[in-house]
Amino acid sequence: MTITRGTFAFVADLVRRRSAIVLEPGKEYLVESRLLPLARAAGLDGVEAFVAHVRRTTDDRVLEAVVEALTTNETSWFRDVAPFEALRDHVVPGWRATGRDGARLRVWSAACSTGQEPYSVVMALADAVPGLDVLATDLSEQVLERARQGVYTQLEVNRGLPAPMLVRHMARVGSGWRVGDEVRRAVTFRRHNLLDAPPAGPFDVVLLRNVLIYFDADARRAVLERVRRALRPGGWLVLGAAETTVGLHDGFEPVVLGRAPLYRVAAPVRPVPSAPVAPHRARAVPVSVVPTPAPGAGLR
Amino acid sequence: MRALVIDDSRTMRRIVARSLQGLGFETLEAEHGQHALDLLAEGPVPDLACVDWNMPVMDGLTFVGRARAEPALRGMTLMMVTTESEQSQIVRALAAGAHEYLIKPFTTDAVRDKLELLGLLPAEEHA
Amino acid sequence: MTTMIAGDDVYAIAEDLFAAMVDGEPGTVRPWTLPLPDWTDPVHAWVDLHGDWSGRAVVTTERATADDLARALLGLPAEEAVSEEDLQDAFGEVANVVGGNVKSLLPRTGTMGLPQVASVAPLLPGSALVTQVLLDWGGRVLELTVRDVP
Repeated sequence: MTITRGTFAFVADLVRRRSAIVLEPGKEYLVESRLLPLARAAGLDGVEAFVAHVRRTTDDRVLEAVVEALTTNETSWFRDVAPFEALRDHVVPGWRATGRDGARLRVWSAACSTGQEPYSVVMALADAVPGLDVLATDLSEQVLERARQGVYTQLEVNRGLPAPMLVRHMARVGSGWRVGDEVRRAVTFRRHNLLDAPPAGPFDVVLLRNVLIYFDADARRAVLERVRRALRPGGWLVLGAAETTVGLHDGFEPVVLGRAPLYRVAAPVRPVPSAPVAPHRARAVPVSVVPTPAPGAGLR
Repeated sequence: MRALVIDDSRTMRRIVARSLQGLGFETLEAEHGQHALDLLAEGPVPDLACVDWNMPVMDGLTFVGRARAEPALRGMTLMMVTTESEQSQIVRALAAGAHEYLIKPFTTDAVRDKLELLGLLPAEEHA
Repeated sequence: MTTMIAGDDVYAIAEDLFAAMVDGEPGTVRPWTLPLPDWTDPVHAWVDLHGDWSGRAVVTTERATADDLARALLGLPAEEAVSEEDLQDAFGEVANVVGGNVKSLLPRTGTMGLPQVASVAPLLPGSALVTQVLLDWGGRVLELTVRDVP
């Protein structure tokens, strides 16, 4: 049974007010599938009955749980692979070449969810840099708590974590796996709303992957501007595979590193465009291509 | 792309083969390591072998060792697909020459992720 | 040593199996909270574990439920009859996956036998029940037990 338009509108409004994330019509299936487990846990038949209950409740935790269920994304380790190789094979050598030996590479994972992304960054880069500090933020304190624990199920570790990294960086605990202390130590998890002022930078790298899609156009520009201010000049932004800054914010220069499109903070600061820009193709247009080194072993 | 699925359970062979077919692979099947070696001696070498561990006649670990030692089979990527999930078992499999390791139970998404890591699939643009 | 095999862990193993391979989405199993009914037409699948610790992991359910499980795993349509061979193979694989993951809960790696399937409960004289987990899969009960061998 599909939910009614009124039910969907109520849920979308709640989510938008609390997280600025927009659920457009067409996302009814998402509301159903994400809220059904909550409905069952509440002992109710279906999503309609559950939302009726949510409308009547004065318990803020119920509202939070609904927002939480609709704003968490499917996460895998080393998502899309190429950006992590690009960080290790191009960004880090470039960073070291600017004479930053001894300095710590500062990375911000800005939609870290249950932690796979920031831990993947550490696993990919820890050997390549003298020091690494990863700040990992998310809107939800619940997912952050999970991320801090660093414990994952077999199903979760199956998702994109190279087996050599699994055995090197994680250990079995009960039926699950736990991230080792050396990796966990490099990550600080903190709650942060992307609509607020950014955390104190400057960062060398910001990962903002697959979260802009949930914002409307104005919010996307605003978030990108905050991220740009948090990056040092020449710092790098990593987006999701189907995302681009082109057409949204011209303070970034698209650069293909290896097989991944990354976005570099342009050295002189450019003003944010004040008028809407004509729509571009979704795929980034590479402005410069950094020559790749000889084919490496990938993420082994 | 071609893949060889090696598992003594017909159910599991079917599940793995279905996942691989959905990702664009042609699949062949073998019931255990010796059967697989016999098949490999007959035809073109597949790009990938998905190898169960616990099988009669020749188990998966032994098969991996034999495949890596055989020059004709060196180009074949080897992924264990097994319930053996102790850290020490994974280490053994990697040391024997397996390139990747998928723990049962697994989803088709997990198979796809592993194949992307191995460079056997282009990384998709996830919406 | 058998305190390493907690009911919660066995439940998590079953949850993962159903989510990943049987139904393709999470949330299809819950704990069975009623008393275990008497079996009318049961089928049992089990694997034996050996090593520092020896024991047996058994999955038991009604034949009709096992048929549904086999259909789900094999991708057969709802009305299609499940052959004895298909049932043995598919339900045996369920025990294989459960047993293999139970094995990995133990501190030292052991070995595991091939799965067996029968309509008569397998006897393990002198064994003690380590844990029993009852699952509700769409209103049908499955029983997972782990026993240890003296």
